[in-house]
Amino acid sequence: MSGSDPGKLISKADNLTTLSLTRWSADWESATRLYEQAANGFRVSKDYENAKLAFEKASKGREMLSSPWDAAKSMESAAALAKELRNWTEVIDFYRKASELYMQCDRPQFASDSLAKAACAVEDALPSDAIKLYSDACVLLEDDRKEQMALDLYHAVTNIYVKLEKYTDAVAFLLKLGLAADKCNATNSQCKAYLSAVIVYLYAHDLKQAEKCYNDCSQIDAFLRSDQNRFAGKLLSAYKEGDVEEIKRVAQSRSITNLDSVIIKLARKLPTGDVAAFKTNAAIGEGEALDENDLK
Amino acid sequence: MTVIDILFRVDEICKKYDKYDPEKQREANAFLDDAFARLYSLVEADIEKALAVRFLFSYPFLFLFSFQTLIFQINYWNKMQKSDKVSTEKNRAAAVALSAEIRRIKARLMEEVPKLQKLAKKKVKGHSKEDHETRFDMVLALPDRIKAIPDGSTAAASESGGWGTSSSNKKVKFDSSEERFGSDFYQQTEESDQFRQEYEMRKMKQDEGLDVISEGLDTLKNIALDMNEEIDRQVPLMDEIETKVDKTTSDIRKNNVRLKKTITQIRSSRNFCIDIILLCIILGIAFYLYNALK
Repeated sequence: MSGSDPGKLISKADNLTTLSLTRWSADWESATRLYEQAANGFRVSKDYENAKLAFEKASKGREMLSSPWDAAKSMESAAALAKELRNWTEVIDFYRKASELYMQCDRPQFASDSLAKAACAVEDALPSDAIKLYSDACVLLEDDRKEQMALDLYHAVTNIYVKLEKYTDAVAFLLKLGLAADKCNATNSQCKAYLSAVIVYLYAHDLKQAEKCYNDCSQIDAFLRSDQNRFAGKLLSAYKEGDVEEIKRVAQSRSITNLDSVIIKLARKLPTGDVAAFKTNAAIGEGEALDENDLK
Repeated sequence: MTVIDILFRVDEICKKYDKYDPEKQREANAFLDDAFARLYSLVEADIEKALAVRFLFSYPFLFLFSFQTLIFQINYWNKMQKSDKVSTEKNRAAAVALSAEIRRIKARLMEEVPKLQKLAKKKVKGHSKEDHETRFDMVLALPDRIKAIPDGSTAAASESGGWGTSSSNKKVKFDSSEERFGSDFYQQTEESDQFRQEYEMRKMKQDEGLDVISEGLDTLKNIALDMNEEIDRQVPLMDEIETKVDKTTSDIRKNNVRLKKTITQIRSSRNFCIDIILLCIILGIAFYLYNALK
């Protein structure tokens, strides 16, 4: 049977499933089998469109046979083929359907996996949709208390935001990452997340926000005791002094190289803009303080 | 026989025949009655001894004319010969010890002097008025004599710089002139400069090496922490896999047992015999039919 033409198999399977006068009930079992065989045949012959259709039908068949697991698996194969065809909306639809089927099987991990795959596939073409998919995937994992798996997803979201130059959103997600890491006691990831947040703010040339962020994060014990904390402090003080050389030197140090690659790229590009402005602001602030003391 | 042996033997013999020595007997008898004389003679003997010790120590190779001092000196000389290579430190220590000993003796003797004075005032029979006065003078002279015994702390005037007792301190001078430091001083700084430079260079190299090591350690630490987190992530997955695999293995075992039972049932000898018999019956029937039709 495997040798025969996949087209023929499909038509045969269609016949089995369509109801007519001679057929009172659809024979989903054999139909599904035929559909799967046809789909494999099409994939081998690189006919992605037909293969995709065949997988879709096979998945439907499996659903009818009350095996959502297999249905989800077929759906995922269909989505992968849609990705080959660069049909993004279909990709998103198929992966979402697959994740729903996985949730029916009570396997949230696989569900979030399929959403993550979807997001990965479309992040270049439809970044906002990708972000939505990633967030949904994270929500699924957190509901299942598997935050550790979510850390990679948060990183991915942050990268997308940085690419879109939406730095505040990126920082928001980094802080969410820190929170997730805190829940599963991944202190190293947590500290790295906070340091990345400070760097992103500095890259956005917002020293005040960076300092605020740093102060907030310093409330956390684990961060306070870490190397990343010391490094962030050094970076901020270099910024306050407006010393470009110092900033560059600090940014080249070892602590940076352990962060995410996107963040490393940002750090290497520091300082952006004019740090002298920060310096004068700082000086004025100190001058005022001195004057107050003198008046006293 | 060594000189020492001779001396000891002579001493022993003298002691043995002391009772035949009229002078000594007279003295002993005299002293028996006279407390003052006795005490005075003891004090005198002590002074002599202290002087001899001090004398001997400062001038070790001079001979004196009393047996006791001679023996003492010979013993001392032997000791010096034995410890020929004794360092100056040791000698100084010995000097210090002896000086302390002498000082002790002097203090003791000073205590005896008031007793002697009291005894001198008493009148003793058999002694004239002149003897009495001379005794008093002798007692007065005693404290000076005692004080005059050198014990290392009284020879200050003769030493230069106002210091020390032992001879080895003579090299240390505290009022030396400036010129002595002139040329020597500068020569020292050239060498020490070089040394300092080398030291600085080496220190710098060490610092560089340590920096490299610290960077490497930093990287290792971060890698290790990441590995730690990854492994923590894998642990619950492994647990899940373990439970699933356990369940699967138990299912397979159950199925295997059932399969084995079924197979043994199928391949049991009873069925096999029945099969053979039935086969024979069929062959028999076929043969009969064949014969019948032929």
